[in-house]
Amino acid sequence: MFLQDLASWAFLVPLLMVLSFVLVGFLGPYLKNWREGGWIAVVISGIAMVLGLLIAAGEMLSPGRYTDLHTTWISVPGNGTGVFPNGFSLVMGTLVDPISALMLIVVNVVGFLVLLYSIEYMQHDRGLSRYFAELSLFLAAMNGLILADNLLEFFLFWELVGVCSYFLIGFYYEKPAAASAAKEAFLVTRVGDVLFLLGIFVYFGAYATAGAAGGWAANGFLFVHGTNPYIPIGTGANPTLLTIGGLLILGGAAGKSAQFPLHVWLPDAMEGPTTVSALIHAATMVAAGVYLLAVASLFLGFTAADQFAIVAVGGFTTLFAATMAVVNPDIKRVIAYSTISQLGYMVLAVGAGFTMVGLYHLFTHAFFKALLFLAAGAVIHAVGTQNLFKMGGLRKVMPVTWLAFFVGALSLSGIPPFAGFWSKDDILSSLYGTLGAHPDYWPFFLMAVATVFLTAYYIFRAFFLAFGGDHPRDDSLPHGHDPSWIMKGPLMVLSGLAIFAGVFVFIPGFSNLLPGIGVPPTYTVTDILLSAMSVGLAGLGIGTAYVLWGNGRVFTLPDDSPLQSIRTVLLRRYYIKDAYDAFGQRVIYGIARIADFTDRFVIDGAIHGAERSFAGLNRRMRGIQSGVVLDYTAYVVAGLVVVLVVLLVIAPWLLSMWGGT
Amino acid sequence: MNGITTALEFLPEILVLAGALLVLLLDVVGVRRLEAFGGVIVAAFGAALVAILADLSVAPFAGWSTLPAGSLDVGPVGGSLYAFTSFGLVFQGIFLSAALLVAVASLSRTSNEKGASVFYALLGIAALGMLLVAVSADLIFLLLSLEVTAISSYLLVGYTRRESRGLEAAMKFYIIGALSAALSFYGASLLYGAYGTTSLAVIGHSYPSGGLGPLAIVGYAFLFAGIGFEVTIVPFHAWAVDVYDGAPTDVSAFLAGGTKKVGLFAFFAVFLVPLLLIGGGAATASGSFRDSLQILIAVFAILTMTIGNVLALMQDNMKRMLAYSSISQAGYMLLGVAVATSAALTGATLQIFAHVLLKGGAFLVVAAAAGLGVGPMIADWKGFGHRRPVLGASFALMLLGLAGIPLTIGFVSKFILFAATVQAEGLFLWLAIAGLLNSALSVFYYARVLRTMYAESPEGALTPTEEVRGLAFDGLGLGRAVAIGAAVVAIVGFGVDPQPLVQVMQAAVQHFVTLGI
Repeated sequence: MFLQDLASWAFLVPLLMVLSFVLVGFLGPYLKNWREGGWIAVVISGIAMVLGLLIAAGEMLSPGRYTDLHTTWISVPGNGTGVFPNGFSLVMGTLVDPISALMLIVVNVVGFLVLLYSIEYMQHDRGLSRYFAELSLFLAAMNGLILADNLLEFFLFWELVGVCSYFLIGFYYEKPAAASAAKEAFLVTRVGDVLFLLGIFVYFGAYATAGAAGGWAANGFLFVHGTNPYIPIGTGANPTLLTIGGLLILGGAAGKSAQFPLHVWLPDAMEGPTTVSALIHAATMVAAGVYLLAVASLFLGFTAADQFAIVAVGGFTTLFAATMAVVNPDIKRVIAYSTISQLGYMVLAVGAGFTMVGLYHLFTHAFFKALLFLAAGAVIHAVGTQNLFKMGGLRKVMPVTWLAFFVGALSLSGIPPFAGFWSKDDILSSLYGTLGAHPDYWPFFLMAVATVFLTAYYIFRAFFLAFGGDHPRDDSLPHGHDPSWIMKGPLMVLSGLAIFAGVFVFIPGFSNLLPGIGVPPTYTVTDILLSAMSVGLAGLGIGTAYVLWGNGRVFTLPDDSPLQSIRTVLLRRYYIKDAYDAFGQRVIYGIARIADFTDRFVIDGAIHGAERSFAGLNRRMRGIQSGVVLDYTAYVVAGLVVVLVVLLVIAPWLLSMWGGT
Repeated sequence: MNGITTALEFLPEILVLAGALLVLLLDVVGVRRLEAFGGVIVAAFGAALVAILADLSVAPFAGWSTLPAGSLDVGPVGGSLYAFTSFGLVFQGIFLSAALLVAVASLSRTSNEKGASVFYALLGIAALGMLLVAVSADLIFLLLSLEVTAISSYLLVGYTRRESRGLEAAMKFYIIGALSAALSFYGASLLYGAYGTTSLAVIGHSYPSGGLGPLAIVGYAFLFAGIGFEVTIVPFHAWAVDVYDGAPTDVSAFLAGGTKKVGLFAFFAVFLVPLLLIGGGAATASGSFRDSLQILIAVFAILTMTIGNVLALMQDNMKRMLAYSSISQAGYMLLGVAVATSAALTGATLQIFAHVLLKGGAFLVVAAAAGLGVGPMIADWKGFGHRRPVLGASFALMLLGLAGIPLTIGFVSKFILFAATVQAEGLFLWLAIAGLLNSALSVFYYARVLRTMYAESPEGALTPTEEVRGLAFDGLGLGRAVAIGAAVVAIVGFGVDPQPLVQVMQAAVQHFVTLGI
């Protein structure tokens, strides 16, 4: 029963990574031989991974259990009146339940593998201790987020992962593109963060009017409020407020998970190291938005209007992002668009009420997408470019990387029995099952189905361009070779997971982490037809890609083809980023100009005037005979007059206006 | 009351005074080592701090209290000039923490520095004045104690006598300080005219049923201006920037961390009593004085935080930026006075303590960096975070704390302060919004320093071998390292687990609110 008891020690997982952050951050610069502390981070995250896996194993052994441990962090005393007559508390705690156990596996396994891979991948970069310290801090925050047992704690860690993401995207801060991508990511996700925070307030208001505020606020916004954790508290609350709260939470999730219209930052975030893309912008942080939706649907509850909005955002983003992946020449950006698209699937599933199905896809996606990124990283590491049209023929020189990418691509395309097939298929068939009750989901179901074809096409286009043919299209590229075992090891482990993670749910214990999934399949004829259709679409996509790009072929669209204009639109990313930039240029810059004018002519004038008088003072005279000191005394006297006027005239006048409150 | 009891009651004050006198005595007998003077003062401060914690019954020292049983939190007996309250003791603890930080850090200065004995003796006498402010129950006693601190501070700013900038700052400080003291005493005399007493408790409790006469109102206005100088309320703040900038940086740390907080305590003592006790139903012909006072303090709180922040945004000089940020922080603390509920006062007290650690610590880092050859401008800090990882991270932590980032004590204090302001409802909501907007604004100038420290390379980039120079404490000196380290530990420790600290302060504030002195 040792394993079950471990849930009480879950707080050690984030703390271990904090330890790693402190050790690497402070000692790293003095540990040149230890790759500036990189090995410390690898070892500690390995321990954290083992602990996380053991905790998850404990959860598998005790179905549907949740362990909530918390302590009062900050308490605000009440004074008998006002909003909180008895005061309220901020609570810090850990909640180990099936879904957080599932996330523990994802975050710590991918985290450990990425850190290990980084030892070789990043070896030629400067500032390694900063890199490993920031990744450790990110893992600490991410673990804190998934273990949070209340909404405010969740939000604190949510902000912290955002900050780490900002630092890591801008790791190559000397590169202007990286610096501006970091800023963009920070600002766009910030929009989501503000919406999320407003959502917390609105939910609070909703429950306040329902009379539950005393309890919900006093206990620090705890998720757990009954004997069964997964029953939303949304009873008796004002439905309009609940709907608004749900939409705001969706806004927060859309920012973090790069859903339309807040998707623009993720492709640009590819300016960061590829390892960062694999861990943060594929497997974990971007999935935090989906996790937030899952948590909200399980503990807070969504209204029907919320559900439709979530389905619409997810369904549309799925197709929308996939189309942009089709034309992109950059290997990392293709995978980035693919991530947005796949996150759309998860959002779609959670919105339609299939929270566990969405998390199932989150689980498998984390592995095959991290694999694709790390394989792409190995390619970039070897040939030094991200441009697919310069690569080619890498299969012969990088067989292991080739195989890893191939496995990842098959899994992403949804080819059985690879992991991606099971979860994606589950999303499609679940959604299909609700179409009778929700005919308004039809368009989004069709978008999800169309995306299956596009997904297989774009990933195999990238696959054939990079690995197909005999030789690189750009002769000046260095001849690639497979990396050493430090990088190959993680690729192989992730390949294994990308193959088998989908069938884990059929293992009796594991299925406790995703209640309702993995029960012996009772496939109907419809289900089988649906699966066949999606596999067929994926096969068609792969075939199309092979015909157009296979064996070193390069398909060029004729200049007069009507498709050219579509291609331009896609390459320009539907002009959405241009529109945002234009908005920034015109509106924000306009406001900034006005502020600048005020600054320059009003405030600066005053400051510089004052500065000149200081400078003059220094030259002309010392001490008492200074105009400036006289100025200061003048301020004091003027201030005294203001105090008198406020006390004797203004305040009494205001009070008489307000009726003497 | 016999002499022994009084001596025991005033044990912390006596210890500090004895330390200061011993330093001067050592100087007279020919000791010339800074370490000796510093050691005496650090020991005196440390012992006094233990005595105060014992009086407050804080964990390891509980039971050692030297206060006679039943003399805590009972109010002044028979018109006594002083009274021991847990609220005052908490503030004594805060003052001594600030003084101790500076005393320890200054141990790292050159051993044969001229004027070291003067520095430490003045530090001791200033601390004595601070301790006395916190026990005063009488307006004149309070103002005189305040002057003890103020006069020592003027001298501390100019004690090196070598730097013209320091002397100039000291002179400015003195002139404005003398003017403000005159205003305060004039205000006190007006209040004496109105009430026939200078006892704070009597003034507070004997609110005339016919309402406050103009004599008393004008008296309070003069006190507001006079004490506002110490607190750096805009527009009585102008001296602060020149003085913090011109003074030796250790002294700036003491001024920002210590003496300013004395002004705040005086502000509490003078203005909270009327806020808490006066009013209710009684009103002057033109509205309740309590409400007028609340409006006055709220207006100046917003003015102070906004102007402090806006001016901080434009500074290129590190010490001036910190000075303006210090002014804006005074605005947050006034917020708690304006709201005047026990929750708000807890928040304000916590904010004051947080500021001692954060701003005092930041000035100490600036002093340490100056010793390592970093110039006075913010631009001189380019790449500092990479060259001195530990010192840089400490500074970053302090700036993040000032910005109110979670897991630092700065978040805890701001959270309680703003939550209490929101809780007070009504017009206070606007006060809370003004405070939050200001808080958001302040993040910009702290973030700018962080960016300079971490994301910009100094001109003439360093070679990789130069990039990290030496271990954490190289060239720093033990004293500075210990003081900065202690501040960092306290910032993070109380940020992670604030409950024990919050409870001590909460209990003290509760006594103050119920007792009304």
